[in-house]
Amino acid sequence: MMRFATLLKHPADWMAAQNEETSVVLTSRVRLARNIAHAPFPGWARKKERQAVRESLQGKLESLPGMKDGFSHELSDLDPLQKQVLVERHLISREQAARSEGSGSVVNRKQTLSLMINEEDHLRIQAIRPSLQLKEAYKLAHSVDRKLEGSLEFAVDPKLGYLTACPTNLGTGMRASSMLHLPGLVLSDQIGQVLKGINKLGLAVRGLYGEGTESLGNLYQISNQSTLGESEEAILDRLTKVIGDVARYETQARRRLIVEDPVMVKDRIGRAAGTLTYARIITSKEALNHLSMLRLGADLDIMPGELVEICDRLFMETQPAHLQWSAGKKLQPEARDILRAQMIREHLHSSLPPAIDISGKEN
Amino acid sequence: MLMKCDSCQEKATVFYTQVADGKLKKFVLCEACAQAKGITDPEGLLMAEELLGAAPPKPEAAGVFPFESQDKCKGCGFTLEDFRKVGRLGCPDCYRAFSGEISQRLPSMHKGLSHTGYIPEGLVKQQALRYELSNLTTQLESAVSEENYEEAAKIRDRMEELEKGEEAVTS
Repeated sequence: MMRFATLLKHPADWMAAQNEETSVVLTSRVRLARNIAHAPFPGWARKKERQAVRESLQGKLESLPGMKDGFSHELSDLDPLQKQVLVERHLISREQAARSEGSGSVVNRKQTLSLMINEEDHLRIQAIRPSLQLKEAYKLAHSVDRKLEGSLEFAVDPKLGYLTACPTNLGTGMRASSMLHLPGLVLSDQIGQVLKGINKLGLAVRGLYGEGTESLGNLYQISNQSTLGESEEAILDRLTKVIGDVARYETQARRRLIVEDPVMVKDRIGRAAGTLTYARIITSKEALNHLSMLRLGADLDIMPGELVEICDRLFMETQPAHLQWSAGKKLQPEARDILRAQMIREHLHSSLPPAIDISGKEN
Repeated sequence: MLMKCDSCQEKATVFYTQVADGKLKKFVLCEACAQAKGITDPEGLLMAEELLGAAPPKPEAAGVFPFESQDKCKGCGFTLEDFRKVGRLGCPDCYRAFSGEISQRLPSMHKGLSHTGYIPEGLVKQQALRYELSNLTTQLESAVSEENYEEAAKIRDRMEELEKGEEAVTS
């Protein structure tokens, strides 16, 4: 089994893929909620019952193809910082990080498949792919589902489909979402209108870390809301179409901005580059917003192209838990902001060397 | 033209349209009668249906479950009150125990009320078998009533075969 440190050393498969396709749609995720028939849901089960479910599941999940050299832990074995790192990588949910007893996580080496035990449901099968590949992500999650149903009796009703702890997941138990980078729509003030339109189509838009989170770095998650009454294919088709449309609006907005308002766009990108290359103290929020502008600059060929990949890595690695993990210790927010600024400068150095060296003796 | 209250011939000021069983029903009432029947209060709409003799909405989402809401799930002890408080259920069997309450909430959450997506293969086979069995039961009854005993025996044998198959699928 892979150790936590090994998991962290490797960027996820879906974080590394950079091409034309990931210019707007960064990643696609599909998760399936499944429960063991007749067993109480994790939120209502006694500790003993949760442990029994975890024990019966963990072994089966570990023996799935591709999981042999994966990561598998009971969450109570991990410290809060490690759990937070997994949340930042989207490998477990914030809700699951808060539950510990009898909760578990099984992740394959490539980090394309993450199985959560005793989150809100007994099992959540999540597959992640780069760019707009919801159907491919579904295929991966579905193949795991099919393998498991041979040896597990899932709670299913012929009329209501898969039975879940919350009726909002009933039916397919499927939540499919993509992460989009939409700086063009934000800068051109069209984002509100687009988000309203998405909501009207019965789809949900959320910030970086899901439900109830603020949008940072112009990153938005679009997902299906309804899980009952439509087949998986119909949901994925509709979602893929809408997300493709939004990505096209974003591309058009970027092209229009660079023609109609080049000074404003270059000002924002230039200021972001200036701040990131010279700042000594930077919060996570400020970093995300500037990295977003820098990534836009690279996508628009105003900045060196390799910055896209560097920005995407920094999006993840400058998050509070990742930062503390790399420092090897828990840090106060002020110390984190200093370390974050330093890490960003180091990563940007070869592509954007500062004109003047102001470092002196301080580091 | 002045509209008169359906109930008391006073001047009607409340216009109430209801769709039930795919049929449109219109009522005009005066303020006092409307209030008496609970129509001005959105919470009282169900009462209004009762008073005006309209059928309650069909519990389509209840599916194979009987349309009911028990106080407590027999399987896990979770109560209807718990569900109303947290919006989550105690165990898969709660869907049966609280089907009445759940079926009222589903239309605001989902595009449809019945599952059309993937279900495990075992369950598909089981359902197909049950469907065929229920068809054969009907055929058997009509064969018996027509005193076609030769045909009835054939049907009975076929049903026994299928029942064995169902046991193999479910066990």
